[in-house]
Amino acid sequence: MMKKTITILLLVSLLSVALASCNGGQAGAGNEAMTSVEKTPLSVFAAGSLIIPFADVEKAFEVKHPQIDVQAEYHGSIQVIRHATELHKPIDVVVTADASLIPLLMYESRVPETNEPYADWYIRFASNHLALAYGENSKYADEINAENWAEVIARPDMKIGIADPRFDASGYRALMAFALSEMANNDYGLFAPMFDGQFSFPVTIFRGDELTTITVPEILETKKGSHIVLRGSSVQLIALLQSGDLDYAFEYESVIQQHELNMVSLPDEVNLGEPDFEAEYNQVQVDLDFQRFASVKPKFRGERIGYGVTIPAGAQHTEEAALFIAFLLSDEGRAVMEANHHPLFETFLADGYENLPASLQAITVPLE
Amino acid sequence: MKKRNLFFNIVFSALGGLLLLFIVLPLLSILLGTTPETLWLALTDPQVLNSIRLTFSAAAMATLLAIITGVPLAFLLARRRFRGKRLVEALVNLPIVIPHTAAGVALLLVFGRRGLLGQWLTPLGIVFTDNFAGVVVGMLFVSLPFLVNLSRESFALVDEELERVALIDGATPWQAFWYVSLPQAWRGVLAGALMMWARGISEFGAVVILAYHPKIVPVLVFERFEGFGLVAAQPVAALLVLVALATFIFLRLSLLKENSE
Repeated sequence: MMKKTITILLLVSLLSVALASCNGGQAGAGNEAMTSVEKTPLSVFAAGSLIIPFADVEKAFEVKHPQIDVQAEYHGSIQVIRHATELHKPIDVVVTADASLIPLLMYESRVPETNEPYADWYIRFASNHLALAYGENSKYADEINAENWAEVIARPDMKIGIADPRFDASGYRALMAFALSEMANNDYGLFAPMFDGQFSFPVTIFRGDELTTITVPEILETKKGSHIVLRGSSVQLIALLQSGDLDYAFEYESVIQQHELNMVSLPDEVNLGEPDFEAEYNQVQVDLDFQRFASVKPKFRGERIGYGVTIPAGAQHTEEAALFIAFLLSDEGRAVMEANHHPLFETFLADGYENLPASLQAITVPLE
Repeated sequence: MKKRNLFFNIVFSALGGLLLLFIVLPLLSILLGTTPETLWLALTDPQVLNSIRLTFSAAAMATLLAIITGVPLAFLLARRRFRGKRLVEALVNLPIVIPHTAAGVALLLVFGRRGLLGQWLTPLGIVFTDNFAGVVVGMLFVSLPFLVNLSRESFALVDEELERVALIDGATPWQAFWYVSLPQAWRGVLAGALMMWARGISEFGAVVILAYHPKIVPVLVFERFEGFGLVAAQPVAALLVLVALATFIFLRLSLLKENSE
């Protein structure tokens, strides 16, 4: 009996060792001692709203460059950056749903050993529209529309999903949507019914002459029985929507279409996706009131949604990273993204143009 | 002979010692990496304290529910022969095998607002999503094998002859259980309950899907880490390690001290 058991255990462990070594190319990143068939791992950290299109981009890219193995990880955009600046992970490509986060959080902070900034350029490559997603049994689905959405979802018997504005760009964009909707409708009673009394520390709004500022407290917790449901990133809300635990959730249009969910489009003045409404978007700002854990208090100014990509300091495979970005911005990459309902910009504007790898300078235009 | 014995002991101690080091090193580094000041700040942080209270009580609640239902099951598994017994035993161990995030999703489908049970319980005011009950359910699911398995082993060790004698002497099955089986097996049951409670406290994956709020300590550590970085997460993590260790050691020593005799 015991001999048999030991034999089985030995077999199982041999098998797992064998399996592990087959898989070595993926698991053993940075293990150069392996044979020459070893692929170059390319570490891509991207915003959660890119999970579905980037899976296809990865496949297409790897067909074209079989010597490279893309290893992608997805988080809320702020967390994507944190993995580089706080955890010092050797990331090759950083992609965020808000390009402005790159100068805000990466230009300013420096790698301790070399004192160089974590990034000194980025490319704005795509936009999106903020919208409301809803499921099969969502309440008031026959009533809600682009005009009355703010009033409808603030009703007390609703469950509304919002990404945590402290960690995810779609979260602070959802807050902005309420301020923008108030201005567009000239009705300054839309924010309060949605947010007042929902959190243990309040989210406040200050309507100045030129700028409306929403302040998010450091500790953001919904009260018991709140109609707001917070999650770390907007893509985590989708499962709750599908299970019927949420009536509506703030999501990007591309994500809603990828998941074939029902959608309430928001008006152009509100959806943060229209180039002609930049001036309106600019009138709102979300401040994070960080006191204890961070020395800087991040401020997010409203603007047209722009996805940003960069190669951070500490990247181990800069050449391959540039290849990946060039592929994403090529006609092939554009086609893959479009097939996934996430169109790219016609021209790609680059901040810190002089710092770009030459191959990427050729396909971008300097941001003035 | 003695020399060979010594060699054997050295090799086995060295191998076992490596494993112990593997446990101790990360724990030590998280404790030593935290200054007393930041630890004190974490200790006086109301959010952290509430979270610890919530975590411990939800795990205790889950354990209580498992004792009421799991001890009878463990007894049946130890004492009765029935068809499909192997299947039941495998079923009990299933939560150990299932990835906990998958368990969370499965629980959501049952206990969510429109879930299999959730749709009937929600109108009664029993809500699981983002609620205490959701935390309890998540912990219960992933940690119940510890209680059932240890209890079953413990009941199996009780001399069956004693139970039979009690029954022959006219005791009802209830009396035989209460006055014969349980008094002899209680240490194993208790050890199982403690293991289950501890496992419940450390659960993250299943709970976070069903109930991100109110935040149990593992979720809080994750949130602080993701949102504010290592500096913010480390003291809370260290505190949880300390409190869990202290409670666990205290309970083991005070309740199970005669176990080692």
